Amino acid sequence: MISVVPVITASGLTMQFGQQRALDDLDVAVESGVTGLVGANGAGKTTFMSLVLGLRPPTSGTVEVLGFDPQHDGAELRSLLGYGPEHHIMPDEMPASDFVKHIAEVRGMPRAEARGRASDALWLVGLGEERFRALGTMSTGQRQRVKLAQAIAADPRLILLDEPTDGLDPVQRDEMLALIRQISAEYGIDVLLSSHLLEEVERICDNVVALDAGRLIAQGPLDALVGDDGGVVVELVDVADRPGAAAAVVESLGRYGFEVRHDGLGGTRIEVLGSDADAIADAVRDAVAAAEARVGRIVRRRRRLEDLFEGAER
Amino acid sequence: MSDARILDRGYRRFEGERAGLRGSVGSLTWHTSRSILGLGRKARYKIVPVFIIVIAFLPVIAFLALTILVGDLLEGELRPDYWEFSQFGLAVFATLLFTAFVTPEAIVRDRRDGMYSLYLSTPLTKVSYLGAKALAVIGTMSLVVMAPSLFLLLGYTFQSLGPDGLLDWLGVMGRLVIAGLGMCVVYSAVSLGVSSLTDRRAFATIAVIMVMLGAFIATALLVEQAEMNANVLLLDPLRLALEISPRLFGDRSADYEDVSTWAVALGNLGWTLVGVGTVASRYRKLDAV
Repeated sequence: MISVVPVITASGLTMQFGQQRALDDLDVAVESGVTGLVGANGAGKTTFMSLVLGLRPPTSGTVEVLGFDPQHDGAELRSLLGYGPEHHIMPDEMPASDFVKHIAEVRGMPRAEARGRASDALWLVGLGEERFRALGTMSTGQRQRVKLAQAIAADPRLILLDEPTDGLDPVQRDEMLALIRQISAEYGIDVLLSSHLLEEVERICDNVVALDAGRLIAQGPLDALVGDDGGVVVELVDVADRPGAAAAVVESLGRYGFEVRHDGLGGTRIEVLGSDADAIADAVRDAVAAAEARVGRIVRRRRRLEDLFEGAER
Repeated sequence: MSDARILDRGYRRFEGERAGLRGSVGSLTWHTSRSILGLGRKARYKIVPVFIIVIAFLPVIAFLALTILVGDLLEGELRPDYWEFSQFGLAVFATLLFTAFVTPEAIVRDRRDGMYSLYLSTPLTKVSYLGAKALAVIGTMSLVVMAPSLFLLLGYTFQSLGPDGLLDWLGVMGRLVIAGLGMCVVYSAVSLGVSSLTDRRAFATIAVIMVMLGAFIATALLVEQAEMNANVLLLDPLRLALEISPRLFGDRSADYEDVSTWAVALGNLGWTLVGVGTVASRYRKLDAV
């Protein structure tokens, strides 16, 4: 069941470390489902997570998680959260099942329940057969799965995953992303997924919160932030006797008043941004004809998450 | 009809009541106690704690064996008082080994293997996390510091050599428990304080030995060789904590003959506060995520 109340809301959230402002006046509403918290290293993702967990007070502003104030109801809130840290954790000699059981107990599961839930969580992440193996003997992919298992074992309402695909090969990454999607879809557990890999966020997230240098640059449903944006991508054929054709097309399109992106001198890929597809198509036709350029392909331009960051830089 | 049932296993939502912060502290205390004693871990992790516990019990077992063999011959002056057992060389050696080799395991490893961050993402706070660790250390240390004395009391009692009457017996036991807990608190505070300063267990062990043994040697030299005031012995946490026991039994050890009971109490309180303050200061600055 999809909850209407935001899972996390922040208002004017600011976090200052000495001279450095890690989060700057953030107004965020994270909805139910899988939410990608994206941004480059140092964007403020981990600081935001620590405030959500109630591990430090914000310099100013407020944050509410599942209806709780993390600063005042931290213990109660955290019993409803799961967390998978980015860094390598786990005592090497401990069997996976013992580790997951122990964390489930610390998160508030009764002892009698914790053993079974640890086992179930490990089966769910695909480590049922390996659950008695010591953590130190497991591969990076298996350890990432154990981290996910301990995050869900105590039946949280929200899990915070910090770079859960870090160190995984492409196949393992696909499996991990599918698992995260499954956990949210099948069990109704909301997920806040911190990642600097935009492509994986686009693949599994329902919502996105994009941070850049502590500032919020975009948030909302993924569908509203990515997809068809009305522009086109023109790929010209590189012809030896028309060396300046691409530049001429770019210049011509610019005169029509469109925002044009061109991948530099000698590049043949031109992006034309705008919302009136017919007007863009006419302008492209005229510009290509005038420059006597040869078109290899024209496709609709899809807005991607990286465009949010490029827009923020400009 | 068969009793066989198909168990519907698989991940599912939990509808029961959660244990809350109390459950978290209890679970961490239990896990840490087991971990530092090597329980549930490979055999090599059990060697040191078991060895130390055996050493701690040796004097008591020896005296109990002697009383069984010679009985009444050890009555009176020949039989050491209860508090004296904690001051025997082997018992002190076991205490020193435990504070240096076993106690640091309680907190150093969590910082090294990232468990500290994970714990603070649970209902635990820094204070409750450290409280659980302190409880685990004090509880396990009592196996070395307090349990031998209680075992001796039981041994004497079963041989009809114990205190007369229930009230006397409870009085002795109460004093042994209070003295044992007092010693455990002081040693735990010092050991955890030193251990909180490093992420390497070996360094923590060396540092604890240097503080405990270094202070012992330095104060002994200052008092015995340089003939300084006996109150200098308050700077030695190893012997100062041992002095709690005789004071509770209305006695004094030879070394602390000239040190008042108030000074002993304040000295122990001071060492405890120094240890707790060091841990608090270190963990206040330590970010979890």
